[in-house]
Amino acid sequence: MQSNSLTETMHHAEADSNDVFGFWLYILTDCILFATLFATYLVLNYSNPMQSIQLKQYADLHDVLTETFLLLASNFTFCLSILNIYQKKVLKTQFWLILTFILGAGFIFMEVSEFIHFAQEGFRWDVIAHASSFFTLVGTHGLHVSFGLLWILTMIIQLPFIKAQHIAIRRMTYLGLFWNFLDIVWIFVFTIVYLLGAI
Amino acid sequence: MTINKRVLSRIFILSFFALALASCGSHFIGVLNPKGIIASEERKLLFNTMALMLIVVLPVIIMSIAFIYHYQISHRVQDYKPNWSHSYFLESLWWGIPCAIIFVLAIITWKKTFEYDPFRPIPGFNEPPMTVQVIALPWKWLFIYPEYNIATINYLEIPVGRQVEYSITTDNVPMSAFFIPQLGSQIYTMTGMRSQLHLVATSTGQFDGMNTQFNGVGFSDMHFMVNVVNETEMAQWVKNTQKSSLKLTVAKYTELLKPTLNDQPLFFSSVPANLFNDVIKLYMNSNGTTHPRASLTEGKMND
Amino acid sequence: MISHLLFGNLTLDAIPFHSGIIMGAFAFMMLATFAILFVITYYRKWSYIWYEWVCSVDHKKIGIMYLILGSVMFLRGISDMVLMRAQQAIAAGQYHGYLPADHFDQIFTAHGVIMIFFVAMPFMFGLMNVAIPLQIGARDVAYPYLNSLSFWLTFVGAMICNASLVIGDFAATGWLAYPPLSETYYSPTVGVDYYIMSLQIAGVGTLLAGINFIVTILKMRCPGMTPMKMPIFVWSVLCSMILVVLAFPVLTVTLALLALDRYLGMHFFTDFAGGNVMMYINLIWVWGHPEVYILILPAFGIFSEIVATFSQKTLFGYTTMVWAIGVITFLSFVVWLHHFFTMGAGADVNTFFGIATMVIAIPTGVKIFNWLFTMYKGRIRLTTPMLWVTAFFTTFALGGMTGVMMAIPPVDFQVHNSVFLVAHFHNVIIGGVLFGYFAGFIYWFPKAFGFKLDEKWGKAAFVLWVLGFYVAFMPLYVVGLEGFMRRNDHYSNYYFQPYLIVAALGGGLILLGILCQGIQLIVSFTNRELLRDHTGDPWDGRTLEWSLASPAPLYNFAVIPKVETLDALWAYKQEHLGESIAHLKPQHYAPIHLPKNTPAGCIIAIFAGILGFALVWHMLIPALIGFLGIIGSVIIKSFYFDPEYELDEATIKKTELAHFKEIAECKAIR
Repeated sequence: MQSNSLTETMHHAEADSNDVFGFWLYILTDCILFATLFATYLVLNYSNPMQSIQLKQYADLHDVLTETFLLLASNFTFCLSILNIYQKKVLKTQFWLILTFILGAGFIFMEVSEFIHFAQEGFRWDVIAHASSFFTLVGTHGLHVSFGLLWILTMIIQLPFIKAQHIAIRRMTYLGLFWNFLDIVWIFVFTIVYLLGAI
Repeated sequence: MTINKRVLSRIFILSFFALALASCGSHFIGVLNPKGIIASEERKLLFNTMALMLIVVLPVIIMSIAFIYHYQISHRVQDYKPNWSHSYFLESLWWGIPCAIIFVLAIITWKKTFEYDPFRPIPGFNEPPMTVQVIALPWKWLFIYPEYNIATINYLEIPVGRQVEYSITTDNVPMSAFFIPQLGSQIYTMTGMRSQLHLVATSTGQFDGMNTQFNGVGFSDMHFMVNVVNETEMAQWVKNTQKSSLKLTVAKYTELLKPTLNDQPLFFSSVPANLFNDVIKLYMNSNGTTHPRASLTEGKMND
Repeated sequence: MISHLLFGNLTLDAIPFHSGIIMGAFAFMMLATFAILFVITYYRKWSYIWYEWVCSVDHKKIGIMYLILGSVMFLRGISDMVLMRAQQAIAAGQYHGYLPADHFDQIFTAHGVIMIFFVAMPFMFGLMNVAIPLQIGARDVAYPYLNSLSFWLTFVGAMICNASLVIGDFAATGWLAYPPLSETYYSPTVGVDYYIMSLQIAGVGTLLAGINFIVTILKMRCPGMTPMKMPIFVWSVLCSMILVVLAFPVLTVTLALLALDRYLGMHFFTDFAGGNVMMYINLIWVWGHPEVYILILPAFGIFSEIVATFSQKTLFGYTTMVWAIGVITFLSFVVWLHHFFTMGAGADVNTFFGIATMVIAIPTGVKIFNWLFTMYKGRIRLTTPMLWVTAFFTTFALGGMTGVMMAIPPVDFQVHNSVFLVAHFHNVIIGGVLFGYFAGFIYWFPKAFGFKLDEKWGKAAFVLWVLGFYVAFMPLYVVGLEGFMRRNDHYSNYYFQPYLIVAALGGGLILLGILCQGIQLIVSFTNRELLRDHTGDPWDGRTLEWSLASPAPLYNFAVIPKVETLDALWAYKQEHLGESIAHLKPQHYAPIHLPKNTPAGCIIAIFAGILGFALVWHMLIPALIGFLGIIGSVIIKSFYFDPEYELDEATIKKTELAHFKEIAECKAIR
């Protein structure tokens, strides 16, 4: 029943792969979170015919296109930073992370401006249910992106300190999963919210 | 604690339960003493289902006591089989029989759920049903008889043997539920929506009606009296109510929207036209930051 | 201005000085708290408590802390029960009892919230933490720091719920806080906000623990332990955690949307401006139904372990049992509508969900028969855990029966929201979940603490609990069929009163049972040397945890075991009958890497608590401090790159040899 070989601590790679599996599970829970928000959005938008205040009266699809481009580009720059950390080039990794941050921050800036503009024009979250669900769904995505930006910042500062490389790769893997996931959610957001709602 | 005492205590509990049930005899209320078509059918369904389930549950109870008693270590039974843990025969028995029972129950469920759907008129009644509109208010019930242009608070008079169609909504009170246990089903009722229920009473008498869905401090007081009478008495009551000095004006309705407890029955000889539909539309078409009834109660619903 | 930013809406008026009951409860809580603080100070144990317990990332200690939390909150939940039963026994006719309606409404809400979130869930996680890593031959869970964080978040959630007792009020909406009653217009006080904050914080803890245990079970089993060789308790926990991970995000979103309605005036669930009340009810039950399966599945796992161990026989139909758990897990997601058949979804929708609900009875019934036939031709030792199992069979079968009855929509139209429903769910929760957790607690207590619990007081508690349960709930079935609804603080028909008096007596018996359980703990602790478990295997167990000392050493297994069959320890004992496992002393020991203790879990949870409490009272600056504190703590913790230390082989060898010596001495005495 007992193994004769010496007890081993888990090899780093095995431990890291366990950790990344756990992070995938977290992404799964975040999926369910967004799925619930999407379900709520769809119910509140399509079950009540009360449509005197509608998104399409306020939304500008050009802004949405720009935001999409910013977010997609930030995913590309992040992938470049991952490639660099695999090659153990810390400075280049930081460089691409900074670019990712700038693009992501641009996305957030545009989204916040959009929200303020809508509110000033009368499309407010406290006026009618489908407006509430719009701000909450898109806003939750924006909040996730903001946390991602904070994480990217922390990573940029932390990278020079992390002497042990496998931790850096593991954390960058988490961040990469998170950032890519947010991009995928954004595709659903602009399809279901903006394209379906504003065309 | 020997096994015998445990068996005895189990028997004691079950017989206590049976005695309690038996001793009350015909003084039952609720679905155990149905006075309406739907309630009688529901009682039948309840006991039939219980019987079907007991096919499985009784053997489980008996085996759980018998096996533990018989195979106690102190009994030194000789047929100890520590590694016997598989039997296709037994497995097929206890997968198969429950499947069969559930299959039967599923068919019953399918049939009866459609038959007793609250929205569905009860078959077998050719004359059009009497309509009653119900509005749940804080913490009382308003009954409107649109055919006679009368209304009551916390009092429902209906004819025996005739189908009544209830349309129900709420105003200025959270989600409630309309229920007359001895007549039939309950149904939730919400603001801006219309629920429907069809009931037929089969005996005259006085029965209790209530709200089943908790909706605030006045919930326990939301009972109403149901008086089932024959056609002549019904007609007489309608005539008397139409002569009542109390009229349900818009102002009076606004007053009724304020939260009150323990309301005594009131009888109104006229109702604002389309009150029921207007209440529903008010909520359906609302938007903005203030509740449509906020000015009435200054937001204090639970003082 | 500054005082408003600091204190928000919080004033001294928030403390209900006028309520004798609340002030009494508060005084009692303060007395108990000060007594504990005094004892710790007197014995100079503060640094011990801090370093060894608060900062612990050891699953064994975290498990014990969960069990303590659950037990303490159980006292609050039971007090609520006593208050309610007493009120309903006397509030007949014109007399409205001693509890004002608003207070009664908060009590039944708190009773449900506490029992589910702060008793059943912590108890479950406690038993899981104590047993799972040991059962799979692992040294700890996959994420020890996250494990600590999960516990402290649950703890803080419970404390926020406790704070609501004395500062402000609690929700008076029922344990699921249906809107529009829970919206600001109908519930303007802080009660619902307390409800939201305490559940959100505890919910995050639960979600993280779910991820933790899934990774642990899937990735950290010892060599040779393929999935079909795992103890069945491990399977039941795995499926339960899958449910956690899929269902709790829905709860998080739903409560967040309710919070947005209340704080920012949004209209998700308001009864005007397009809000959809039915959406909340659907969402909350999409979470709520899996939740009850989350609670019952580990209890089923515990029953499997106990029946097999105390019948000294292999569990009947292991493969079928695993499949049954899997089917139940899957089906639990397609039945949620049976909680609101009366909401008017229409006959076709009601029929689908009614039939789906009944179908769950099939695998559940299969499990019961498998347990019964595990006992058949076994040699049954009637220890207290086994007694709880016997009571479970009858009680749970009856509860399941009433459940299938209510799964038929027309029947449900009569009994929904009546005390028949209340009796049903207490029947299955007490008969299934609680009896299971009690049995598991007694079963694994020696492994956690090193000594067994007193059998005599355990049996007394058992008798009182079972008797009390039936006396309390059988009358409710009867009056539920007669139109007595739930959540009534008074009733005008005297007809119901005799039944409710009997129910109150039953509640009293249960209270006596709990008293016996308390005495059991005290007596067992006093007599711990007599009850000590010297071998680590007090029950002649079948699974790996019984191959370790009691309590298990810090590192669990000095050498990770390699298994070849199910019930590996039992198989080993059969092969080596009569020999002591001491002969298994390994050739040599190696140093073991263990995670360092960290205060991070506790600190993050405290900031979460500050944030939650501040949000309840709209205290902007404290809320900001809480929020920034959480983020700051997480970031600071991330700078500690080396969270492990190495335990040297000399210490390991010393601990192991002491254990083997103890076993040998014990055998010699016999």
